[in-house]
Amino acid sequence: MNSTRTLWVFIVLALLAGTGIGVAYGWYVNPVDYFDTTPDSLRADFKADYVLMTAEAYQAEQDPGLAARRLAIFGTKSSSALAADGLAYARSNGFTDAEIAIMQELVTALQAWSGIQ
Amino acid sequence: MRRAAWGLILALVLGVGIGLGYAWVISPHPITNAPPNALRMDFKDQYRSLIAAAYAATGNLPRAQARLGVLGDADPIEALNAQAQRMLASPQTFERAEYVAALASALEAGISGMPVRTPTVDIPINAGNTFTPTSPSSLTDLPVLLSETPELIETQTAVVKTESTQRPTQTPTPVPGRPFALTAEETVCDANLPDGLLQVMVLNRNRRQVAGVEIVITWDSGKEQFFTGLKPELGNGYADYQMTPDTTYTVQLARGSDVALGITPPTCQTPDGATFLGSIKLTFQQP
Repeated sequence: MNSTRTLWVFIVLALLAGTGIGVAYGWYVNPVDYFDTTPDSLRADFKADYVLMTAEAYQAEQDPGLAARRLAIFGTKSSSALAADGLAYARSNGFTDAEIAIMQELVTALQAWSGIQ
Repeated sequence: MRRAAWGLILALVLGVGIGLGYAWVISPHPITNAPPNALRMDFKDQYRSLIAAAYAATGNLPRAQARLGVLGDADPIEALNAQAQRMLASPQTFERAEYVAALASALEAGISGMPVRTPTVDIPINAGNTFTPTSPSSLTDLPVLLSETPELIETQTAVVKTESTQRPTQTPTPVPGRPFALTAEETVCDANLPDGLLQVMVLNRNRRQVAGVEIVITWDSGKEQFFTGLKPELGNGYADYQMTPDTTYTVQLARGSDVALGITPPTCQTPDGATFLGSIKLTFQQP
């Protein structure tokens, strides 16, 4: 009787361990291949580069509304907050001074622009 | 004892199956590190448009190429041309088709420093730093994102270098695209074509057709614009316009070209002697 109960305990433990192994493998070792994703799922460096591209275009266009529409692709935050996130990433990841400067200018422009919306 | 061992193994395998089902089907791990090539097609278009807008502002072709590389298009030039056509056909987008087409042309030509407009970039440079525009072939201007490890490559794109001694600051001066030349003006007497059709073909210097080029046609009392690429079945660089009889037109490309003067629909004759309005075919090519 006792040995049967012990066996069941081990079986349940094995089941749980197997589930844990399966989840870990499916999430981290061999996760689902994604396609048709949305921009908010982009890796941080790609998001920062997107902000940098927006800043580069803004330098020539000087149209904060257009820049805001471009950043709206990420959806979740205000355009100035998204640009600020990109700027923060750029500052801590070795972007050049010139790149940081134009991203800073974009953030400032978007903050001013959103203030008058 | 043996039954117990088999029971444990079976439980473990069953557990792994349950875990995989959960991780792959029920609740896949939230995606937070997708590369741009995983984006949905419309978002890829938006990404591509922004690459083109950034290229139009900076004229940095290697960087634009690198950025296009992460989108995973088999043929980036073809993807840009196709997108320019889609943008022209459906002009709801706030992005500009001509930037996309211009980037495609620049990639075809392999020319850097040819932005479609002049950037007026004032970059604050710290004391002791010199803004040194780098040539496209220099190591410091290697593509940003050729691989999927842009964190490392970003650091290779430095255009601001700290110099121990001051040097004269050089301002990058973008070179405007060379104007297109009118290389052919033909009268086409084909009764199968609509009467008075003006056909325009725009080619780059490699004789490849260019989509998204704005053509301006003017006459005594009016002016209109039309674009190449709206009829891809006839060619990416093809555009046409319906002329009216007894009107003389002037045709040129908006981005700069020779001017075709005195364009008027010709009168043609069928073999049985009937007359009809023929067509004119103009070919513009970048020298």
